[in-house]
Amino acid sequence: MSSIKEYLSQDHTRCDELFAKMEDRASKSLDNAKESYEEFAKATERHFQMEERVMFLEFEAKTGMTEGPTSMMRHEHAQMRSLIKQMGEAIEAQNSDKFFGLSETLMILMQQHNMKEEQMLYTMAQQHLSAEAPRVVDMMESMIVE
Amino acid sequence: MQFNGLSLEQAPPISAPLRFYLTAPLFAILAGILLLLSDASALQSRYSIDSIVITHAITIGFMSFIMLGSLTQMLPVLAGVKMYRVDLITKASHLALVFGTLFMIMGLKFEMPLLNTLAIILLASGFFAMIIVIFMAIKKVKNFTPTVTGMSVSLIFALFSVLMGLFLLFSYIDADAAIYRNIVANTHSVWAIFGFAGVLIVGVTFQVLPMFYVAPKFKDFYQKRVILFISLSLVLWMITSLFYEAYSVVAKLWLVLFFASFAAIFLQKIKNRKRKVSDITLLYYKTSSVFLALGSIFWIVDEYYFSEHIVVTSILIGGFILSIMIGMLYKIVPFLIWFHLNGMGYMSIPTMNEMIDKKWARIQFALFVASLMGFVFSYYVDAYLSLFALAFIISMVILQYNIITAVLIYKRVKKTKPDFDMSAFA
Repeated sequence: MSSIKEYLSQDHTRCDELFAKMEDRASKSLDNAKESYEEFAKATERHFQMEERVMFLEFEAKTGMTEGPTSMMRHEHAQMRSLIKQMGEAIEAQNSDKFFGLSETLMILMQQHNMKEEQMLYTMAQQHLSAEAPRVVDMMESMIVE
Repeated sequence: MQFNGLSLEQAPPISAPLRFYLTAPLFAILAGILLLLSDASALQSRYSIDSIVITHAITIGFMSFIMLGSLTQMLPVLAGVKMYRVDLITKASHLALVFGTLFMIMGLKFEMPLLNTLAIILLASGFFAMIIVIFMAIKKVKNFTPTVTGMSVSLIFALFSVLMGLFLLFSYIDADAAIYRNIVANTHSVWAIFGFAGVLIVGVTFQVLPMFYVAPKFKDFYQKRVILFISLSLVLWMITSLFYEAYSVVAKLWLVLFFASFAAIFLQKIKNRKRKVSDITLLYYKTSSVFLALGSIFWIVDEYYFSEHIVVTSILIGGFILSIMIGMLYKIVPFLIWFHLNGMGYMSIPTMNEMIDKKWARIQFALFVASLMGFVFSYYVDAYLSLFALAFIISMVILQYNIITAVLIYKRVKKTKPDFDMSAFA
């Protein structure tokens, strides 16, 4: 059983790869990118929810920190959701410049976010939730996206 | 636990890095003008006043400005800590460094001891203020990644390079100190370039390259050890070149080996990146590793020519550092502007790609690379040096223009206050 940190970090890598694939498709034609965009958007949404609906709640319950790191991560999730949504609109509008401008911005935002999670929040979570880690990972694994 | 890396209230004000980024190209332009005014034959020697003045307009005025500006921004993101009174310290030290560098250039060029004395005071306070505050921040780091190690080691080399530099400047005021000049200058230049700039670039690349291009990570072993090896070889090189000169080539070979390997691995990682898009930053990154590889090889080969071609090595290694820095500017400036505007709640803002005109960025790149190759050529045939100096100046003017256009977007959006989109907070 992998730790919370490993599980979620690996999921970041998976999302990054889907992102790269989507961009690669889009560079050929935006029409082509629709499917891989959906795939990326779905994987990322699932990742956000695994955190927001499972891990963050467990972390907050255990540490009592509801206004700390998790609230900031939630805020950044909102920023990224908005960019991802706009990317979908750019695909619909066949606006390639807009799409790549947004994807570039999302990429850097996402990477800074991931780095803070992997280096700080996940490490903290793993320490505070070490006993419950298998259960938390299980819950995230079996979660159904809303 | 510091957990406020990029929340807007805690991130450094955008003016902290931008202040340094906006000044850097001005010093490069100044270097180009000084080059135009210099006698080509004086530039054949690295110890001539003209060479020293031009070099420092670039190394202090451009390179260290970019590094210090970037550290204010990178510390919260890459290390999770923030600097003490970042606004005040960056403002004050930026001012001290601007005038310190200008006074040093004028003091040396026109042989004015008073200006040199002022330059020593200003450069010392500007550099030390930044170095001390960054060290204080690094002391709070909990999770010591190879990148944070790179930052700390780089700062140690920065500290010594600055101390040696101050002594060297002093040697132009007090003739008694002048006898040690060449010995100290040797270590000063190698430590500043490979220790301060080189180590910082290596350390930051470990983290930034996989991030921005979804490129494969550097091997753990490499990440953990290469900075140690580089540092050891720099210390060994200093000791051998001071006391056992015949053996210094061994340390040099070692140093070159690590940097050349870094250049090769860097190119290979870029090639294997998952994110296939190509942009101006990538073009600059590739160019920088070619410069680094060529410069490293040239430095060793030059050993057989008794450092006759050291100026060419300096141009190539300088090309490596400048390229990687300019490439990074093209990415970081638009992002910072987007990030700060977005954080204020503005949503209808240009995307990163719309802030700097790609066409101008490419023209700037072409002129920059052509001028550097021209400088190498001019070392052997100096007839066209002014032409290449002019190309360099124009490329830096365009760089300045490109950064300013992005900053103006920031100012304009802030002033016009477009719609607030609160959907992100829903």
